[in-house]
Amino acid sequence: MNRLSNFVLWRTFWRSLFLQAGFNPQSMQSLGIVFALQPALRELYPDEAKRREVMQRHLTPFNTHPYFAAAIVGGILFHELKIAEGKGTEAEVVHFKKALMGPLAAIGDGFFWHSLRPAVGAFACACVPLVGAWAGLIFLVIYNFVHLWLRARLFRLGLHYGDALVAQLQAPRFNVWAQRLRLVAAGCAGGLAAWLSVRFGAQVGGSLTLVAAAVCLLLGALALWLVERNVSRYWILYVMGVLAILIGATSP
Amino acid sequence: MAFWVDLLLTALWGGLLSLERRAFLQAMFSRPLVAALGTGFFVHDVQAGVYIGLVFELFHLGSASLGGSHPDHETLPSVMAVAFAAALWHASGSTSTLAIWAIAILLMAPMGPLGAFLEGLIDERARKYAGRAQTALTDGDMTQVGRQNLRAMWPQFVVFGLLSGLGLVLGYALVHQYLAIPLNMLRGFAWAYPALGSVAAAIAVRGSHARGRMGVAFAAAVVTAALATIHFLRTSP
Repeated sequence: MNRLSNFVLWRTFWRSLFLQAGFNPQSMQSLGIVFALQPALRELYPDEAKRREVMQRHLTPFNTHPYFAAAIVGGILFHELKIAEGKGTEAEVVHFKKALMGPLAAIGDGFFWHSLRPAVGAFACACVPLVGAWAGLIFLVIYNFVHLWLRARLFRLGLHYGDALVAQLQAPRFNVWAQRLRLVAAGCAGGLAAWLSVRFGAQVGGSLTLVAAAVCLLLGALALWLVERNVSRYWILYVMGVLAILIGATSP
Repeated sequence: MAFWVDLLLTALWGGLLSLERRAFLQAMFSRPLVAALGTGFFVHDVQAGVYIGLVFELFHLGSASLGGSHPDHETLPSVMAVAFAAALWHASGSTSTLAIWAIAILLMAPMGPLGAFLEGLIDERARKYAGRAQTALTDGDMTQVGRQNLRAMWPQFVVFGLLSGLGLVLGYALVHQYLAIPLNMLRGFAWAYPALGSVAAAIAVRGSHARGRMGVAFAAAVVTAALATIHFLRTSP
């Protein structure tokens, strides 16, 4: 059934990485979707008038999670292949996009933005005391191992399964992993606050060692108490910063 | 000459990161830890890159763009702060210190909301490209339809590139004010850096969005404090 060459599929996947380049409040990611589909549509619809009609179909408001959009781009190709062969209808592809963009955005936001990224970010920060600047590389390698693998897999799932993609997506237990990753982030952040305080105390040295470490830890604890009560984090940062400056400036 | 090279590299890096953050790939090169480290490499102060990036990474750990909304721009303050810190110690003839890092963080942190505001304006401007794409499609010029997607990246690259370079310029411009800071105040700023790190880590605990985060963070803090204390007691002379 697949009439698209591997080269065109690769180009489509590559272009899907530019999904949000033309993001705007009116049509959101529609420019990116059309940009991604262009090489495939050129191959599927050699007739310009027909191709223009298909592009118009996809130049409508669209918004989802940028990684999970790969599944939708793959799914659109699945449907457009069927339509080009006369086996599918235009309504099916429009329905496919509309039905999936919301749920996939929710899964993507919850898993990537609220779980994987904080967990890997906090873990990489916790690695700074041990490996220094290499922590940046650790961040990129771990995060992108998951990100790029999943993005490519989602594209293939969409291309091969179309609407049945939903059933395939239930296999990875995103929610369970998300909660575990969030706990990793919380643990790394807590540990890092303690490490910064103790290290600072050790740096100050002498009779002030304990005081410096305790002040630092207390400010962190106070910040946590405040941020949990929805106080602006910028206010917290500046108030705690000024307090620390005053304590430091007046210390013997 | 070195100044112009640093300025060009910082501006290019900042511009490219702003694209990576939103328009292309999102492989997290634009996260503070990585973005600041890269900036530190370009302005010859990797240590400032790591430690300023660490604070901003924790500070912005939980923010996310949901449904096309604009969270605070975490890349812009990170790049500007490192460029500023490096310029300050280069111009003052001192070394990269905790005090300089704290000053850079406190001065550049508001660039986060400013970056988000600018991103909103750029998004509004991108309506123009969507309109052009529609016109091109109506006219039958289908090549132009896709190209509008790429053209929309230019304003982001230029605006955030220029602002990133501004961080370096500000560092050189404010060197006299830095040198006029009394010694006890400088000690205060040096105390502020670990406090800011500790505060950012506390904010990151909230940003983890985990259920039961307080308990986990507290347990991790106690264990780490115990281990770190033992380590420092053993290694101190």
